[in-house]
Amino acid sequence: MSLLSRLAGLLKIHRLERDVEDELRAHIEMRAQDNLAAGMSPEEARYDAQRRFGNSTLVKEDTRAMDIVGWIETTGQNLRYAARMLRRTPGFTLVAILTLALGIGANVAIFAVVHAVLLEPLPFPHPEQLVRVYDDLRTSNTHDVGMSVPELWDLRDKSGVFQDICATLPADANITGGDHPERAEALITNANYFTMLGVHAELGRTYVPADALPGFSEPVVISDAYWRRAFGADPKVLGTKIRLDGDLYTVAGVMPPSFHHPGPTLTTDVDAWLTGGFAAAPFPMPVLRAIRYFPVIGRLKPGLSVAQAQAQLDRLVAQLTRQFPDEYPAAAGWSIRLAPTHEDIVGNVRTELFVMFAAVGFVLLIACVNLANLLLARSAGRQREMAIRLAIGADRGRLIVQLLTESALLATISGSAALATVFSLKNSLLRLAPANLPRLNEVALSPSILIFAFFISILTGLLFGLAPALQTARADQTTALREGSQGAGSSKHQLRFSRFLVASEIALSLMLLIGAGLLFRSFWQLLEVRPGFDPHHVTTAKIWLAFPNDPKNDPYLSIEKRAAFHQEILRRIAALPGVEQAAIGSPSSAPMDSKPRQSPFRIEGRASDLERIPVAEVASVTPGYFSVLKTPLIAGRFFTGEDNAKGQQVILIDETLAHRYWPNADSDAIGQRLQLGPAFQSTNTNLDVASTFTIVGVVGNIKSDGFDAASAPHIYRAVYQSPPYGAVVYLRTSADPGLLGEAVRREVQHVDPTIPVFDVRTMNFIVSAFLAEQRFAMELLGIFAAVALLLASIGIYGVMTYTFSRRTNEIGIRMAMGAQRSDILRIAVGEGALVVAVGVVAGLAGSAVMTRFLQSMLFDVKATDPLTYGAIAGLLTAVMLLACLVPAHRATRVDPLTALRHE
Amino acid sequence: MKPKSDVLQGTLALLVLKTLERGAMHGYGMTLHIQRVSSEVLRVEEGSLYPALHRMEQDGWISAVWGASENNRRARYYQLTAKGRKQLAEEEKNWARLAAAVASVLRFAQ
Repeated sequence: MSLLSRLAGLLKIHRLERDVEDELRAHIEMRAQDNLAAGMSPEEARYDAQRRFGNSTLVKEDTRAMDIVGWIETTGQNLRYAARMLRRTPGFTLVAILTLALGIGANVAIFAVVHAVLLEPLPFPHPEQLVRVYDDLRTSNTHDVGMSVPELWDLRDKSGVFQDICATLPADANITGGDHPERAEALITNANYFTMLGVHAELGRTYVPADALPGFSEPVVISDAYWRRAFGADPKVLGTKIRLDGDLYTVAGVMPPSFHHPGPTLTTDVDAWLTGGFAAAPFPMPVLRAIRYFPVIGRLKPGLSVAQAQAQLDRLVAQLTRQFPDEYPAAAGWSIRLAPTHEDIVGNVRTELFVMFAAVGFVLLIACVNLANLLLARSAGRQREMAIRLAIGADRGRLIVQLLTESALLATISGSAALATVFSLKNSLLRLAPANLPRLNEVALSPSILIFAFFISILTGLLFGLAPALQTARADQTTALREGSQGAGSSKHQLRFSRFLVASEIALSLMLLIGAGLLFRSFWQLLEVRPGFDPHHVTTAKIWLAFPNDPKNDPYLSIEKRAAFHQEILRRIAALPGVEQAAIGSPSSAPMDSKPRQSPFRIEGRASDLERIPVAEVASVTPGYFSVLKTPLIAGRFFTGEDNAKGQQVILIDETLAHRYWPNADSDAIGQRLQLGPAFQSTNTNLDVASTFTIVGVVGNIKSDGFDAASAPHIYRAVYQSPPYGAVVYLRTSADPGLLGEAVRREVQHVDPTIPVFDVRTMNFIVSAFLAEQRFAMELLGIFAAVALLLASIGIYGVMTYTFSRRTNEIGIRMAMGAQRSDILRIAVGEGALVVAVGVVAGLAGSAVMTRFLQSMLFDVKATDPLTYGAIAGLLTAVMLLACLVPAHRATRVDPLTALRHE
Repeated sequence: MKPKSDVLQGTLALLVLKTLERGAMHGYGMTLHIQRVSSEVLRVEEGSLYPALHRMEQDGWISAVWGASENNRRARYYQLTAKGRKQLAEEEKNWARLAAAVASVLRFAQ
């Protein structure tokens, strides 16, 4: 049976039944035809033909059984033989299994992550209908400025695009009533939140329509994690009252542990869901189009695509812009944008994950190539044996299948080992991943993972087994038998093929190394960027002044009271031992740790730009803020204690703003006046209505949005003139942050025992957490590249050793004819250099093509950066030549006499 | 209709292999050939023909391809492999030995 039809038979076993039926039917029809010709009637003819078969079903089954039995027997034979061959060389088998298990395991692990994060749909009914709705200001390139209540209502009632839509505002909440106050991560939504998502509570209930009030409602839904943490998983938690920001709420339900809010939160997963209508106190009142402050999630109508919905929303935007020209001036470029919720959550890690997946695939490929070479070398030793077997009549196809079974068995064993290892190490592996990887908690070993593991094991086995198996197919019997004991008949082909394999290994390794090199360079560039502040020896902590539903219960309602509170806190913590300097700022003042608060502004005395309204990031800070962060003063002065509610309203601007409007000298800005529009994302009922401020100083740029973000202009207000409800405490200190955090907590609770202190971290930690993703990608790719380099070195070492061992005869002759050791060395290294050169050239070409996909991960480095390419290629060439050197050197140590006698 | 005589089970393989020595044939053709050449004495039991053919195919003595029959129908044609030829020689030898042995016993009894 030919190899092809045998392999085909293996794969088409399910077609066996139909084939057997066809064959039997043909027989019956032919006899019926003959019977007809012999004179029988059509029915008789057919009946006779049928009858001769007896029970045709039985015949069919028996025939089919023969095929299956034959297949099983052959496979059983092949497996036993393969197992025996593997046991005969335990060293090789062990190394092969370990290498493969590592390669397959790594692939399975990364695939598990890719599958859970990118491929699996979100765990909601009809997840493709869920979208995030953004407000953008296109002309100033400002995105996601938050939505306002009238806009939400318009989207709900006038757009015709959503079957349901909901505001989802992340917030801090102080939980009081226990031994000490605690901070919880809260999410304030409309009452339709849970029904829109299509999820139910595990205990109790979610919201009902009666919970939809203009202000806050009483029922609160808590998360499983919070239930375990705060209530010890008490099943009688329903109906318990908890005090959030001073108001009493009743626990109505507990969500299942698998439920996570599919949108942005402040710091952690949501602890408690509250519902409100956003249309009464304490929400900003009156409800205005310009007061934008919450993210929005919607569910599209069934059958509507995101593109179609976007087109309809664009029409709505045009209509509203015409209807309300004052709220939507053309210069603002207001627009509404939709993005699938899945995209919103995982969009920024998609590239990285795919790059890792491709990289680990490369490593497995390289490992397969190494194994193929090893097997080729082994099969060379068996050429004579194969030739003899073929000569006495062995089926060539059968031999090939036998060899393939060996590699398939090896691969399957490795695959199972890999799966078992990944399964048992799952938790430790998950801890290695960057903590902020979205949907990390959904990574699990599902059937798809098992199928992938099986598929990749078989593919691996075929990949490295095919080459030696096919070599046997091409074995020329006569030449094999005629040649010397080593049976070097096809060795020329084989050698060339081996060297081609090594060259491809080198090419693949080069691509991985260049990728890692580019990421490394990019990370280096990131670190080189000066952030505009000194994160060393700075500890931060956060506090939140409660925001009760009834303003009459708010002790910090007036600016004076809040300013006094911040002043007192600052005085106390500045006096703590170990604290060199202290400052307080609004949450938006925390670099790389918060969402910016954007506000349009206008320079007094300049014509308004009708094309674009300028937008700046606004924060409030105390006088010591810039000293704590070591941000320089460029012109004018910092804030002082005199800048309070009684004094003139003053602001500081940063260099970016100063250069843009006063390009001649920064000091020109001092004394100028500037108007701040209604700030976006203001939940403060004391609205920052457009008021005018005087610039008293220019400070250095702080990269608050990250090293790789463009520098947006910043405007700073004085805390005592604009005291925030949430605050960040900055301390320049060498003291231990944990102890210091405790001390700050004590001081704060001295002033007001209901206020928690949370998120105590050093600035260094915040900055490195910001870079965690890039660092992880770089490290992982670096590890893969290093492994690839190692494998390629082993590969070229092995092939060169083999090459020279086959040519001992030739070397002996050369030396006998007068060649020097150095000549032999030169020739030997030259051989290796050729392989390396081919590999490097191919690798460079491949990199130029493939690194395009890395560009979005690179900062300030081109994907075809010649410096990186050149340096890495040089490094690889050096390593590879070194790996050639040892076998080459050994080749020169050949004694000409023994070499000549060598067969 | 009662079959005239059953073919001994072990000899079916021998007869098939010999039939195919002359060239490729499908199952029905083999039935006709054996029947005709043996002057209707040997009738192949069609219920056991195809299981035997597939068994011999699995053992590697014969190989099969799909082709068009005389009246342009799809039929499966079998042919001898090298291994099959050796098996045929072996079986012929065994059959001759068996026949000679039986003949010896019969002559002796007389």
